[in-house]
Amino acid sequence: MQKYSVFNLIKNAFSSHENWEVAWKDPTPKKSYDVIIIGGGGHGLATAYYLAKEHNITNVAIIEKGWIGGGNVGRNTTIIRSNFMHDANGRFNEFSMDLWRNMSQELNFNVMFSPRGIINLAHSDAQMNAYARRGNSMRLNGIDAVLLNREQVKKLIPMADFSEDVRFPIFGGLMQPSAGTARHDAVAWGYARQADSMGVDIIQNCEVIGFDVVGGKIKGVRTSKGDIKANKIGLCVAGSTSILAEKLNMTLPIETHLLQACVSEPIKPLLDHVVTFGAGHFYCSQSDKGEMVMGGDLDGYNSYAQRGNLPTLQHVLTEGIAMFPFLSKLKMLRTWGGIMDMSMDGSPIIDKTHIEGLYLNCGWCYGGFKSTPASGWTFAHTIAQDKVHKLNADYSLNRFSKGYLLDEKGLGTKTWIS
Amino acid sequence: MLFIKCPYCGIRSQNEFAYGGDATVKRPELNKEISDKEWDDFVYNRKSPRGKHLEFWHHISGCRQWFKVHRDTATHEIFKTLKPHEEL
Amino acid sequence: MTQEFRLKDEGLIDRSKKISFKFNGKKYFGYEGDTLASALIANGVHLVGRSFKYHRPRGFYGAGVDDPYALVQLIRNNETIPNIKATEQELFEGLEAKSVNCWPNVNFDIGGINNFLRIFLPAGFYYKTFMWPKSFWYRIYEPFIRKAAGFGVVTHEHDKERYEHKYEYCDLLVTGSGPSGLASAYSAAKNGAKVILAEDKPRFGGSLLTSEVTIGNQTGKEWADKIVTELKEMPNVVVKNRAQVFGYYDHNMLVMSERISEHMPKTEKFMPKQKLWYIRAKEVVISSGSIERPIVFGNNDTPGILLSSAAKEYMKVYGVLVGKKPLIFTNNDSAYETAIEFKKNGINPIVLDSRKELNSDLITEAKNLGIDIKFEHVVVNANGYRKVKSADIAKISEDKTNLGKIENIACDCICVSGFWTPTIHLASQSGGKTKFNKDIDAFIPSQSKQNETTVGSANGIFNLNDTLKNSFEAGYELSKKITSKENKLSVPAVVEKKNSKHDKFWCVPLPKGKKYKRFLDFQNDVAVSDIELALREGYRSIEHVKRYTTLGMATDQGKTSNLNGLQLVSNIENKVVPEVGHTTFRPPYTPVSIGAIVGREVGKHSKPTRKSPMHSWHEKNNAVFVDAGLWLRPRYYKKGNETLFDASKREAENVRKNVGVCDVTTLGKIDVKGPDAAEFLNRVYTNAWLKLPVGKARYGVMLREDGIVMDDGTTTRVSENHYHMTTTTAQAANVLSHLEYYLQIVWPELNVNVVSTTEQWAGAAIAGPKSRDLLQKLFPETDCSNEGLPFMGFIETKLFGVYARIFRISFSGELAYEVNVESDNGNFMWEKIIELGEEFKIQPYGTEALSTLRIEMGHVAGSELDGRTTPFDNSLEGLLSKKKDFIGKRSLQKEAFISPDREKIVGVVPLDKKTSIPEGSYIVRDANAKLPNPKLGHVSASCWSVEYNNPFSLAIIKDGKNMIGQKLFALSPLKNKSIPVEIVSSHYVDPKGERVRS
Repeated sequence: MQKYSVFNLIKNAFSSHENWEVAWKDPTPKKSYDVIIIGGGGHGLATAYYLAKEHNITNVAIIEKGWIGGGNVGRNTTIIRSNFMHDANGRFNEFSMDLWRNMSQELNFNVMFSPRGIINLAHSDAQMNAYARRGNSMRLNGIDAVLLNREQVKKLIPMADFSEDVRFPIFGGLMQPSAGTARHDAVAWGYARQADSMGVDIIQNCEVIGFDVVGGKIKGVRTSKGDIKANKIGLCVAGSTSILAEKLNMTLPIETHLLQACVSEPIKPLLDHVVTFGAGHFYCSQSDKGEMVMGGDLDGYNSYAQRGNLPTLQHVLTEGIAMFPFLSKLKMLRTWGGIMDMSMDGSPIIDKTHIEGLYLNCGWCYGGFKSTPASGWTFAHTIAQDKVHKLNADYSLNRFSKGYLLDEKGLGTKTWIS
Repeated sequence: MLFIKCPYCGIRSQNEFAYGGDATVKRPELNKEISDKEWDDFVYNRKSPRGKHLEFWHHISGCRQWFKVHRDTATHEIFKTLKPHEEL
Repeated sequence: MTQEFRLKDEGLIDRSKKISFKFNGKKYFGYEGDTLASALIANGVHLVGRSFKYHRPRGFYGAGVDDPYALVQLIRNNETIPNIKATEQELFEGLEAKSVNCWPNVNFDIGGINNFLRIFLPAGFYYKTFMWPKSFWYRIYEPFIRKAAGFGVVTHEHDKERYEHKYEYCDLLVTGSGPSGLASAYSAAKNGAKVILAEDKPRFGGSLLTSEVTIGNQTGKEWADKIVTELKEMPNVVVKNRAQVFGYYDHNMLVMSERISEHMPKTEKFMPKQKLWYIRAKEVVISSGSIERPIVFGNNDTPGILLSSAAKEYMKVYGVLVGKKPLIFTNNDSAYETAIEFKKNGINPIVLDSRKELNSDLITEAKNLGIDIKFEHVVVNANGYRKVKSADIAKISEDKTNLGKIENIACDCICVSGFWTPTIHLASQSGGKTKFNKDIDAFIPSQSKQNETTVGSANGIFNLNDTLKNSFEAGYELSKKITSKENKLSVPAVVEKKNSKHDKFWCVPLPKGKKYKRFLDFQNDVAVSDIELALREGYRSIEHVKRYTTLGMATDQGKTSNLNGLQLVSNIENKVVPEVGHTTFRPPYTPVSIGAIVGREVGKHSKPTRKSPMHSWHEKNNAVFVDAGLWLRPRYYKKGNETLFDASKREAENVRKNVGVCDVTTLGKIDVKGPDAAEFLNRVYTNAWLKLPVGKARYGVMLREDGIVMDDGTTTRVSENHYHMTTTTAQAANVLSHLEYYLQIVWPELNVNVVSTTEQWAGAAIAGPKSRDLLQKLFPETDCSNEGLPFMGFIETKLFGVYARIFRISFSGELAYEVNVESDNGNFMWEKIIELGEEFKIQPYGTEALSTLRIEMGHVAGSELDGRTTPFDNSLEGLLSKKKDFIGKRSLQKEAFISPDREKIVGVVPLDKKTSIPEGSYIVRDANAKLPNPKLGHVSASCWSVEYNNPFSLAIIKDGKNMIGQKLFALSPLKNKSIPVEIVSSHYVDPKGERVRS
């Protein structure tokens, strides 16, 4: 595989960049594979990569209905963090952070991981206490966290509303300095390129039509490009999980909802951190291009439409201006929606299923991007070893029936309320 | 913004309503012995179809009645709205 | 300064009103009716800014919303506003604007060095480099890149402008006032429909403002003026200019932003800057017109190169020449109109037409005027850096692959026309399908999804005759559906010039050995070579191409670049355009002010504020308030220099010693009425309710179906079939919806009604050993003794003539009562309590003292009932009836809920009896254990126990009950605290509950 480096960039410049190789090939599917991963999003591509790299399983196909990276890995607000209260979530995502920190070098693809710090604003003492609970949990898990008072917040983000004309004044905040952002598309492409180079077949525009299950064991998939056999199949199709589950006669503890995000026109650098509003659902960061990247709320009813409604955006931006009054002077440039697997406790599922050889990776709610590497890593482990790793042991499918819930927000099963 | 016909008040904009989830899920009767599976199917498991979905809405800033909406989850087309005990 | 490029009398500007303005510090003049762009061009200024990546000079490419670049920083009324499009900003007296994305200035921009390094900076170069050394990305490279990116600047200050919202319903919304829009609106309005006609520009008429046509016996513009005048006078029509319909949402909801005062030096008092219209239309006519496409050639981004239609608009609308030595480069007839217009104004253009020599009305007219036309000729490359100086032109072979001898001709502008792209954004946003029309090489709307109809050039129809015919018809048919009227108008006769066929040609090949940058996306500097590279590297889906190269992702959202990009991809991939497909159109069509989207809900009004009837009393008595959801509640009443700690301790001590009063109006209150009310409560609450007598209250806990505690509170049987339920402040709305759900959906057989009465009642909690004495003073006629009003008793009585309810309930653990009166009497009640309480040393207490009192009694509240805990966790199992079923009961069997390892509520006291334990600390066995340090549980609430005068906390910890007596640690690493503690019972004060019954 061609190495990406500044030297190669210069070298190729003198041949008009005509000698760059394809980042990944476009193979026709083989008759059978050792493992098939359904879903060429971030998690699927990462799973294939770690199967090859960590478990030496390279006879792998990724089957993608559209084009790789077209789902939520390309539709998120690029935030990477491990600021969770529950131990399972914190430790899983801190492991993810470790993988993020080395990802550009490991993949030889600049994913632009930028640890610019995330600040969760608090607007009451009660909220400060709730954040203290979260932050202390993080610290006891070895994750960095700092509790900020109002003055400390003001120093970091003076553009937030510290005026008198404010409905919910800022009391302080919880900061995870090592959290940050990354270039979302690059993550998908970087994993794809490495997986491809190790022999994984990336098959795009290939839709799964059905499954072959014989005697409780998975045997293969039927696709728009023909039947493909495999004794191990991993589902990695956040947003479409319920559709494939139906083909397997499974009903899962998830619902599909739409989350919207938007960006402003690019402006000169103003905001270094990722900031979340505490008196509503709004978060904001500034991309390297200069756009304010803003997100917040679900449309509030089951949806597979990758198009959102304005009332939600209006609601989100109202909170945006309440946090950052300057946003009022900017223009909203682009909006988009991502389809989420909203699980019934807000945490994901990475597990085996009742069908032998069928593995499930779903329920990421609106937080799947940050977990991409750890999800791929643990899912690859689960598939390769046919058993869960201790990092994803708590992300079991039966935790709902047994009551071992991982509810970060305490909202219960009303998945549409965020 | 959806335009929803409350069976009691008539057609109103979405911001008068609150969503209430899958209307095909039925609460098991009180005092009935049921399996864990049946209970979990009620509390947690959802079909979440792409396409036609029968769901509850609540006219929360209106008559405060719950009712059913038959809606396409991919296009948001609303085919019909019904009172809670009417069937499609 | 003279306006060197201003024509003598042409244009629609008002020459009697001269306007002075500043651009990059220099003073210029223009006229009312100018845009900033037209006024600058009139003054010979074409260099407006620098491109995003290579910082190449950028000029005006369009004359309106289609311009891909002309962004400036605007100073209006002392406010600096980023990213204003100069081609849209109307000129006003004193306007100031500056170029953006350049330093030190637009003429000499250091960032321009990128242009010389451009061979090293192809599409996606940043993915391939900046990876070494590892820490440099965030510390060195990225800050540098960030600095170079972005356009305008924004200050931290609040926006001083005001934005409003309006909701409107109509039969027909018409989006655009060109010929198709006017015809549909007019025809529908005359047929009785309620019509809204929206025009983005200040002037109505669209293409009729610049085309040479006759409608009836009038010129196009005269006809447009007449129709608009007539429409404005009709009561069933709303006509709006400066109004952009930018989004087509579900169920025919469209959103329009109307610019009310941006064209004025400042916004008048109480006027909005913009108004956002939510329009629910029964039918929509999309008459958004079309945008001219560029033809791609070498250095086609040089200032002075622009769309031929824009050049015409500058002449005909603004009386401005974009140049005096124009070169016109076209593949179709419409650019000849521009050439003819130049000629009429005494300028000699040269036309390069990629087609083989042919004749049409326009070409003949041009020939007759003596215009120099070079058929089968193309512009190969533009020369000049800050402004085009000359063009390399050549003959091109019929298959468009070979160039003849290159010739250089001098020019000061190049007007380009690559034919027209219908503006299908709204049609596509509606969810409708699009199809590729090979005749026009562009997509047009196909199947409708909602009630929309696209007419005119937005539908790919480029002649006026058909446009008017179809649009009159559409307006009539659509209105007929709604009004059932049949007032059909006749379509006026049209005289227009017939066009010949355009050439399917959009990109000039490179001459041998030349590597000119040929730009597709002018703002983001995406060139043909970038697309080629993306495809070479395997980024083959159009979405991959877009994301890898950033094509069409600039602020113009690819209005001029997307289709050419698609053509290029389809050529290289050997596919036809429809196979490649286009990227999704999403709102907004043009960037929309965030302030306008939000409207008036800003600052203190971003959320409603709820206040109790006693709020002003609290204010007058130095209450310090705290937000409790939307409510404002007194947190403490400050005396002198007291801190929160001092004041709340004083208030709580006074409750334990004397008597205190607390405003509890915010508690949720629900009336539950009906013959089956008892049975209903019995199902909703975990404990038994069937035998509660009239005149008694009971504490209850309700669960969600998943077994988690949802809320708690007391409910009182007011009369046989009437119960008064209270909820926590936070859950009031949720509980009501929850009850309605079960009554209406699950158990419709129960004859019960529920209604919120939260705002009907003002509530005061009177607590403390002297509360009964005070109560007796307040209600001298009522028997307030322990027998007359026992614990959990309820009576209805009068407070000095005012109807009142007394509940003997306690949250503080003291002897306590809650008095409710109708809200209007709240203040009267409160003042009476304070007045008569004086002799008992009454003090009002706030939420902080309230917390202290409940914590040391071990009462659970929001910090324990956090949506994650079961009744067992909160030691509420005594309230779980074994005899009956209730909501959530089935879930309580879950393995995790009954596991001995489950966390349970306990009390925590620091061993030193001095150090307060911060809330959110964790209880651990070993303070110095290696991380991750295993947690036993967390501290949910802390207070200074006024009973024992030492800190006390509640915690929820594993195997809690068996931990009592153990010595552990409370850790708060955030606050750097490690506190040795002892676990005690959560009922720290009066564990037997004797006081409340005393």
